[in-house]
Amino acid sequence: MRVTLALVIDTFREALARWIFIGMFALSTLMILFFLFIMRIDIVEGGTAAISLFGQTGPRTQDVARLVNNVYGGIATFLYTWGMAGAVFASAGLIPRVLEPGRIELILSKPVSRAHILLGRFLGNVLVVTGNICYLILGVWIIFGNKTGIWAPRFLAAIATTVFTFSVLLTVVVILGVLVESTALSTMVTMALMIISPILAQTALAERLLSSETSRNIWRGLYYMFPKVYDIGNLTLNTVRGAGASIEWMPLWSSALFGVVMLTGALAIFSRRNF
Amino acid sequence: MGNTVSATASQAEAPATFAPEFAIESEGLTKVFRSRWTGVSVRAVDGVSIAVRRGTTFGLLGPNGAGKTTFVKMLLSAVHPTAGRARFFGRDTFDPPSRRPIGYLPENHRFPTYFTGTGMLEFYGALSGMDSASLSKRIPELMELVGLEQRWARVRVGKYSKGMLQRLGLAQALMHSPALLILDEPTDGVDPVGRLHIRGILKNLEQQGVTIFLNSHQLMEVEATCDEVAILHKGRVALTGRVKDLTAGKGYRVTAVDVPEPLVTELGASASAYSVHENEAEFQFAAREAMNDALDKLRATHCQVESVIPTTSTLEEVFVKAVQQ
Repeated sequence: MRVTLALVIDTFREALARWIFIGMFALSTLMILFFLFIMRIDIVEGGTAAISLFGQTGPRTQDVARLVNNVYGGIATFLYTWGMAGAVFASAGLIPRVLEPGRIELILSKPVSRAHILLGRFLGNVLVVTGNICYLILGVWIIFGNKTGIWAPRFLAAIATTVFTFSVLLTVVVILGVLVESTALSTMVTMALMIISPILAQTALAERLLSSETSRNIWRGLYYMFPKVYDIGNLTLNTVRGAGASIEWMPLWSSALFGVVMLTGALAIFSRRNF
Repeated sequence: MGNTVSATASQAEAPATFAPEFAIESEGLTKVFRSRWTGVSVRAVDGVSIAVRRGTTFGLLGPNGAGKTTFVKMLLSAVHPTAGRARFFGRDTFDPPSRRPIGYLPENHRFPTYFTGTGMLEFYGALSGMDSASLSKRIPELMELVGLEQRWARVRVGKYSKGMLQRLGLAQALMHSPALLILDEPTDGVDPVGRLHIRGILKNLEQQGVTIFLNSHQLMEVEATCDEVAILHKGRVALTGRVKDLTAGKGYRVTAVDVPEPLVTELGASASAYSVHENEAEFQFAAREAMNDALDKLRATHCQVESVIPTTSTLEEVFVKAVQQ
């Protein structure tokens, strides 16, 4: 436990020293202020509301709860995407950096297993991002709650889905980090996975457009294999809006499985590497 | 500057199956690096077997590219051996708990610059299993021991000079009062006064029973500090022995076992020096003829000759000769 704590604290120290933590905190603050600035929701006669964006009021009033839920849903999806992309960009270097020559040998000389070192660093990285995601989403939630008087706890589900998806994507950063020690490549591949996710999610369209069964199988295989960033985003939206009667678990467990496979692979590579 | 070591060496736990007199043992340790793409292989370390007695100071010497760093990295499990094995106090070095009694200072260390002096010692101390109370007590002691003023404790290590980083690195290696210190060029970048200071620290540690394994290019330093040395060349042990024997003067050192007492006396008369330890007799001969005459007599009495080592007057000469051979 002491060793794990030391590795987590070290990750926080590095994130602070390299302005990652402060940078993410500042950007999140800007985002919160941005929402505060652009969005005004006015409760009118108790039952209706008008929403204005950049001072432009919509043509009609809506049921306040539905409106707020929709706004919450939209913002949750936006924060999910933005928060995760920002977190990947900001923290991708934290894993490869610890493997630098002259640094890793000293850590490996300590009575700590390689798996413990890597998992401790991974946990530290996840916690750095969790702190920031909590700040961002809670901040927006508090502003909205105060503005509308409607406190939708479902909005906070975005914290869980964002941190979960980030953790899955971080496993890609970890395996590439131990394999090639390149922050740039780790970031590129992770972003590619985020970008390809909404394309692969169009399975129904692909079934219609692709002529051969082999192509359709490849599409399905890729869809099930890679993390479902887009589907989990939709899951976040539906959960926050309260639209979904039941949760679709497949995107969650298949993404978790992907993460476990990546992390296991990273541990296997790390334990065999020479430094 | 304090020049005493306040903590005593921690006792390494050794299993009952192992002879505890050795802090480090390596058996046929070999490392072959293979290029994944070209298939070209380089044998960096080739069957190195050494044993470092507990409580001694051992020097590992060798020219650039001899395999010293790879050997040390294999000991510390940063590099996986292709063949052979190594043990710390009887435990396989691949087993993480075997590294608990080890303090290590790498040669080209790159301490993260975001650490303060205290922060760095806390981190590496915690990785060695120290609790926060022990850390708080130990850090000021060690800062004083290695000659770093307390005002530097809260300064980021990015502001430290090379010599100060070496001192801090040494403090890091000593944090958990290790029973075995593995130091790679510990005085690199340190001024002459600082070198003397570090040498004094190492001497004190040795007196307290700490085993020191020194990997250094500073032959004078090794000669002054080490009891035994091994010279690596092209990945192999070119020469190993006690420093006092290797530098006993120009001539030949003959070691034989089970030499009858009358023969010891007879050979001792023609030797410039001789000694007997248990069943092992060592003779120092100044001339080749005397050495050959002694070998003939030893053979005639069916004694086992362990080694015949040419000796010179300085470690540098020994080193050059071993490497040139």
